[in-house]
Amino acid sequence: MDRGPTVNQPCLKLTTYFGERQRVVTDHVRRPGFLADAMLDLFDTRELATSVMLRGIAGFGPRHILRTDESLSLSEDPPVAIAAVDVESKISGLVDDVVAMTGHGLVTLERARLVRGDDVLDVGNGDASKLTVYVGRQERIGGLPAYRAVCDLLYRQGFSGGAVILGVDGTAHGERYRAQFFSRNVNVPLMIISIGTAAQVSAAVAELSAAAPNPLMTVERVRLCKRGGELFARPHRLPDTDDQGRPLWQKLMVHTSEATGHGGVPIHRALVYRLLDSGMARGATVLRGIWGFHGDHKPHGDKLFQLTRRVPVVTIIIDTPEWIARTFDIVHELTAEHGVVTCEMVPAVVTRAGPDRHGDTELARHDY
Amino acid sequence: MRGKAALMLVWGGVLLAGGAGAVLRFVVDRTVARRAARSFPFGTLTVNVSGAALLGLLGSLALNRHAALLADTAFIGSYTTFSTWMLETQRLGEERQVLDAVANVVASIVLGLAAALLGQWIAGRL
Repeated sequence: MDRGPTVNQPCLKLTTYFGERQRVVTDHVRRPGFLADAMLDLFDTRELATSVMLRGIAGFGPRHILRTDESLSLSEDPPVAIAAVDVESKISGLVDDVVAMTGHGLVTLERARLVRGDDVLDVGNGDASKLTVYVGRQERIGGLPAYRAVCDLLYRQGFSGGAVILGVDGTAHGERYRAQFFSRNVNVPLMIISIGTAAQVSAAVAELSAAAPNPLMTVERVRLCKRGGELFARPHRLPDTDDQGRPLWQKLMVHTSEATGHGGVPIHRALVYRLLDSGMARGATVLRGIWGFHGDHKPHGDKLFQLTRRVPVVTIIIDTPEWIARTFDIVHELTAEHGVVTCEMVPAVVTRAGPDRHGDTELARHDY
Repeated sequence: MRGKAALMLVWGGVLLAGGAGAVLRFVVDRTVARRAARSFPFGTLTVNVSGAALLGLLGSLALNRHAALLADTAFIGSYTTFSTWMLETQRLGEERQVLDAVANVVASIVLGLAAALLGQWIAGRL
């Protein structure tokens, strides 16, 4: 079994956003399989350290076609996001295959680090950090479901927020784990996204490594723009390209809860409709968590018998620096009282729209 | 033997008319919902209200037994949807959009009744 990278090596995170019903682009099979399946097959063959397929609840892409689980007719082709992390050489070796098989969608590459407890994390320049932990659905730590144990730990460390998002397919330590209807799905991965200071992340990584046998964790640098209505900083105003002329992109992540609204509508719903109306966004994807916390609220999920939902929701918006600056005004307005907003640089984005292909998989370099 | 053949023909017609109604609902619902781009389920409301008007009209035309089965039960029956109306109302409530949920129930009933009456009134004038 491939144990994956063993040291704190520079890694890449490859994320693909597309419609779930989409099939693979190929010219030699008469009835090609589903894109998501084919992509996970590829990740399985290459024994990726971690990858996970997440099913979204709402979103739209460059064609501005709305998909949402609020309406039966608009929910038949929900958005999905598939994230995969491994060392640079492995990810670079399969990016072109991923781009080639995707007919309509967005492929992004970001720098990340797969970390272990004994790694020394350089406590950066005051920016916040995003810690992502991948555990199996039914894995347990200290008698608790692992995702709950992880959330408790992050909450105790004082993280700004954390959301557990259920995966339906994926790889962990090079092994494929796919959810099935009649199965306990013990090792099917789920993703825990959390935001904290660099010091909190260092402490959490050390503690998690001691508590779990072989945890998969990545750390990325982000800017904390807003928390609980308070504005800390607007997104960095990046130039359109780096000094080599390679385009720069940015990603906004808006962490809210089903329980927090704006004008009588949950923030994430209002956000998708406002962005779509504005015509100033190339796309957005909304992922709903199953468990999580924000601010002083203890980690919680939904109950079997309840009238209203209260689980965390993450809205992801990827765009050019100029458009992100405008989009942030909408995000700022809707998160007047609630939510955590972060921003990070995305060094490579490829947009596929049928025969059209925009962007390059070569990573831009820009220090900010 | 002739009765049996006629029965099979009508049942085949029910399959086709039902299928056509379902496809039309999907297309109308999707188009309206995408145009509206709101949490409120305007697509389902449009389908149900227009279906009620059409059924009011057809019901008053005193069609023969087989034609009524095809047009009313099969076509309009699969075009309109009670289950989606209920599901979408429940989802609005789940996301704390209580006003929209109540409005969805009230508006569907009031507009639906008005549409059925309008259909009957038009049929009476034909």
